[in-house]
Amino acid sequence: MLEVRQLCKHYGGIKAVDQCSFEVEKGTITALIGPNGAGKTTAFNCISRTVPITSGEIYLDGQRIDMLRPHQITRLGLSRTFQISRNLSDMTVLENIICQAQINGWRDFMKPAMPKAEVDKAMGILDFLGITRIAHEDGANLSYGQKKLMDLAALLMSDPKIILLDEPAGGVNPTLLEEIVSHIRILNKQGLTVLIVEHNMELIMRLSHRVIVMAHGSVIANGSPEEVQKDPKVLDAYLGGVDEEAA
Amino acid sequence: MTTMAIQNSTEVLAARKEHNEKIAAHTDKARATWFPWLLLGLFVALPLLQFTGNYNYVIHMILFTACYAVMASGWNILGGFTGYISLGHNVFFAVGAYFAGMIYARMGISTIILAPIAGLLAAALGFVIGKITLKVRGPSFIISSLALVMIARILFDNWEFVGGAAGVALPSTDLPVQWAKLPYYYAFVFMAAFTVWVSYKVKHSKFGMGLRAIASDEIKAESAGIDTRLYKALAFALSAFFVGMAGAVWGEYLTYIRPNIYLIILVSVNMVLMCILGGKGTVAGPVIGAIMIVAFNEFFVATLGASELNILASGLVMALALIFFPLGIVGTLAKHNRLPRFLNWD
Repeated sequence: MLEVRQLCKHYGGIKAVDQCSFEVEKGTITALIGPNGAGKTTAFNCISRTVPITSGEIYLDGQRIDMLRPHQITRLGLSRTFQISRNLSDMTVLENIICQAQINGWRDFMKPAMPKAEVDKAMGILDFLGITRIAHEDGANLSYGQKKLMDLAALLMSDPKIILLDEPAGGVNPTLLEEIVSHIRILNKQGLTVLIVEHNMELIMRLSHRVIVMAHGSVIANGSPEEVQKDPKVLDAYLGGVDEEAA
Repeated sequence: MTTMAIQNSTEVLAARKEHNEKIAAHTDKARATWFPWLLLGLFVALPLLQFTGNYNYVIHMILFTACYAVMASGWNILGGFTGYISLGHNVFFAVGAYFAGMIYARMGISTIILAPIAGLLAAALGFVIGKITLKVRGPSFIISSLALVMIARILFDNWEFVGGAAGVALPSTDLPVQWAKLPYYYAFVFMAAFTVWVSYKVKHSKFGMGLRAIASDEIKAESAGIDTRLYKALAFALSAFFVGMAGAVWGEYLTYIRPNIYLIILVSVNMVLMCILGGKGTVAGPVIGAIMIVAFNEFFVATLGASELNILASGLVMALALIFFPLGIVGTLAKHNRLPRFLNWD
């Protein structure tokens, strides 16, 4: 579904992502984990082209996407959320979500901003996520958890094939976390592929089918949650890689 | 027990749904589209006063205000909806004026007919300039727009074909003095109505929603699937279109085109001030702002004389207005749900 080959992103002399390659299979929940500064979010930013990449190739369903612009990638069916929830603060939640509904060509430019069909669809998504009550609230007035849910709702509006979630559980209370987990599960059952960056290990082990571990900008382990947990390289990366430092 | 809980929750859900629908209905009903139509009707009928005496002053003031309403509403599409503050929009005012004025001077075609073409030329220029300068935002964009004014000023000051710094005098109409202003008056009143209508349409379209998203968070907008570069450039072009159109007719009305009428910073600052005072990003704001600024200036010139004192007084009133209405008159009132019905054109 999504394939990353030899992705590099350098900031001056710092190699944030270095020769990173991995693959996300269709219909799975794949987690991307790693210690702080491992390059997970940078890899995300490169895939969605929020930042330009230094080198490497990215394929979505066999189509090369690393030279496209972010909105084109979104239209191809790859949507993402941001680590620090980005939302359009002077718009209501409903408007925020409908913003994600795509236009096709010039004729749609002057189409009404909020047609009935799209409002219904958006309300349906809000209903699924259990947040219809905040539909007419200003985006700026939401709590952190509500913003995360709104981000997820906005993603679903564009009928994506694959979603990239950047720390969906960061700063979210345990109850809401359970809700988010079950939403992701249901969506995945409906055929949506999910790539997720997360620090909450317990959640990752419970939720994901495959785990990709990054450290120092490249992939050091790749497998099922059980395999990865036992991998000595992963333990090293998290507990301060003694041999690497010494070498 | 459980059945009661279920019943309760369905009731709550139903109540919520009703509440949501009420909010949606409210925003629809609160709009007063009749008021701009009434204003338009009033202004169309106003020249009948000329049969009873000489009201050229009133006609001039409305014409002048309408001209600024066109420009401010046009500017608002880029500055208000999209959030890119341009101090260089008087360049399009000049481009429209010079294009239509030169054709009028040489071929005698009225600028009122040429205005849409002048607007299109300004729009094309705006699109190209937008493609270049809209890559930066915030203070950098403002400075790039100021640079545009300087480039245009030097260009027009030294371009002998269009008269250089001395400008070109245009033939004036041979209508009797009582009716001489009327063609321009109607042109500006209808242009203002058209601009307000377009800005209303834009605000309620997918395009306008994209622009608002860009104003809020460009990266988010792009990742939501909005072609931000194209949207921004189109917004620039559209706002240049209206300013260029106003410039075309203004030249013939003044019977003179000269760089130091059009390419002075005061013209573009006025556009910005009107939008900020009225409420940028709203449909009614620029029109209200234009009316207020023209009225202030005129009032203080009349009472305090044409000294620096009237500029000070207008400035003071504006500062006070912005202390109490930080989002502009329309914007602030709307935020606190205190906007009188007749000013809600959104």
